[in-house]
Amino acid sequence: MLRVLTVDDSRAVRSIVRKQIIEMGFEPVEAEDGEQGLVKLGESQIDLVLLDVTMPVLDGPGMLARMRESGNKTPVIMLTSESKRSVVAGAMKLGIDDYILKPFKPEELKSKMLAVIGAADAAADEEGVLDSGGPAPRKNGGEDGPGTSRQFVDVLVVDDMENVGRKLRTLLPQHMTMASFTSAQAGLAGCREKTCRVIMLDSELPDVTSSVLARQMRLLQPHAAILAMPLRSTNDITKEMKDQGFDDVLFKPFNQDSIDDFLLKYFDNQEILICEDNLFKVGGFHGKEDRIPIYFSRLEGLFGEALKKAASACYDEVIIDLSQAPARQEKLPRMLLEFAESSKQNGIELKLVGSQDVKKILSAFTETKSIPLFATVQEARSGASA
Amino acid sequence: MNPETIEEESAKVASWMEKVILKRVAEDKLVLPSIPSVVVKCMEFLRQSDFSFKDIAATLEKEPALAARVLRLATSAAVGGSSKLNLAEALARIGSKGLKTLLLEAAASKVFVSKDPEIAVAARKIWEHSVAVAALSRDIAALTGSKSGEAAYLGGLLHDIGKPIVAAMLLEAERQVVEVRNQKFVESPVWIEVMGRVHRKVGVAVAEKWKLPEEVTACIRDCNEYDKSDRQAIVNSVCMGNALAKQAGYVVGAVDIDDVNALVMIGRSVLGVTDDVLQKLAGDVKNRVSGLFD
Repeated sequence: MLRVLTVDDSRAVRSIVRKQIIEMGFEPVEAEDGEQGLVKLGESQIDLVLLDVTMPVLDGPGMLARMRESGNKTPVIMLTSESKRSVVAGAMKLGIDDYILKPFKPEELKSKMLAVIGAADAAADEEGVLDSGGPAPRKNGGEDGPGTSRQFVDVLVVDDMENVGRKLRTLLPQHMTMASFTSAQAGLAGCREKTCRVIMLDSELPDVTSSVLARQMRLLQPHAAILAMPLRSTNDITKEMKDQGFDDVLFKPFNQDSIDDFLLKYFDNQEILICEDNLFKVGGFHGKEDRIPIYFSRLEGLFGEALKKAASACYDEVIIDLSQAPARQEKLPRMLLEFAESSKQNGIELKLVGSQDVKKILSAFTETKSIPLFATVQEARSGASA
Repeated sequence: MNPETIEEESAKVASWMEKVILKRVAEDKLVLPSIPSVVVKCMEFLRQSDFSFKDIAATLEKEPALAARVLRLATSAAVGGSSKLNLAEALARIGSKGLKTLLLEAAASKVFVSKDPEIAVAARKIWEHSVAVAALSRDIAALTGSKSGEAAYLGGLLHDIGKPIVAAMLLEAERQVVEVRNQKFVESPVWIEVMGRVHRKVGVAVAEKWKLPEEVTACIRDCNEYDKSDRQAIVNSVCMGNALAKQAGYVVGAVDIDDVNALVMIGRSVLGVTDDVLQKLAGDVKNRVSGLFD
């Protein structure tokens, strides 16, 4: 866990900062003045120093000067009520990484801490090994093998049971990259070194609260989706997990259905429905026949979102191109029926484009045979009869 | 010339200059640039609560260059104008705040003109720097949610208005020493040092003579440091704008880059400006400023 040393003679300031540091999932270390700060730096590995300027015994610039003289390159953010440029310019010459004026907003402290820690990590990656006076060198690469700096991975998994990563690997397509870790610490190191699209965390890791680990990882990987991996249970714990800060859940043990849903949602959901203004083109289905219900279920969800956008853009008609859609009895009419009702509620006229097979299927139901069907998109746009 | 000598010599000259200037200010004998009479008349109209743009237009017509500037601004894309406007309509379109800025900008630009070639070059550079600071200050004020964008623009534009006046005074002093007494005057690094030490007091005297709003006068007086007691103060936008303009290369004389970088670092926190925004501001400044000179 990253350690952040706050050197400030104000107990109130240290207390506020400590709270922020803990919320970010880092470990707080404190000192009342520069002398104490130097002692703390010598006692343990510190990843970042938050340094006040005016303090008794040894002030901030004095401590900073002694740190740098001894070769210590730990990143420093000046956190102070001092705003004179001569003081800050002097500190910059000694190597501060950023500056925060008190009183400060929590977001400013968080964003600057992350930026400085991130920059230090990148520099450490480039240097390979840090000087002896600086923070301890970090392990490079995941447990899958030595990694390159800022390597991209599709999925990063943290679960103390090694088999979870192995099983997931067998279910994911070969072209997808995955990094697997069995401890929170190794997972965090992986997050610092790699860029991930999805992070999956065991909801019950030993000695670590998963939601806290998720927060730490979100700070390091702000663009990744973070999923919890709880055991299947009779209770619906999805909401509980989302309340704790996870984006979604993926229940263990995995099966191909749940993995396919996961892939559709996070990696491949754009080909099922392509929207061009008020023209919705339904993509083809390629897979096992028993996956058809999931395909239609997913399509229904996407239709709902697309319809909202069309209504927001003031379209009074929507054309659904079913040329590529699988012509299946019941599934297709049922889906279209629901969509027609939603369109009507939004004051949007629905037009379809499809083959004779589609026409035949829709004609079998009273509710769907009245929806105008055209052979081509051009005909639908011009309103020519089918 | 070593830095200690420059500092020692400039301290002496600056002290002397300061005494002379303060004495002249106290006795109302400091020769400060005056605002053109047309600008004064228009400003008087603007101070009245029931002014009419027709009256202002009638006054402005006596100064064709200014009238042309108003028409050009009113028909520019920036205010979404069309090309067919009479002067009164043009004034109504740019509004009282816009007109005030335009008038003071016109008046200030004359201060940065000199018949002396040496001063003319330096003054031109100071003016370019000032226009860059003005544009940046207005943007920064807007980004921090301030509604005093025009005041920030004026504060930036006029923050160095004392410099060309001090330069002219130094030149006058130099001529007296060299030509009349046949003695050597100070070297150019001392000139710059002296100017830095006293120009703000002269600038404030100009602001008072021109009856500028207090927040603009405060920019001229205090924009060397941030006002941490009021983070949204206009002076903070100008202080940051000044540093960013220097980073973008709009400088006159030697610049302490550590000092400038420190001002930017402090300003990011004081004003809550992110690096993304700073990069955008800095990237735009050259394109924007290059189109502002007559």
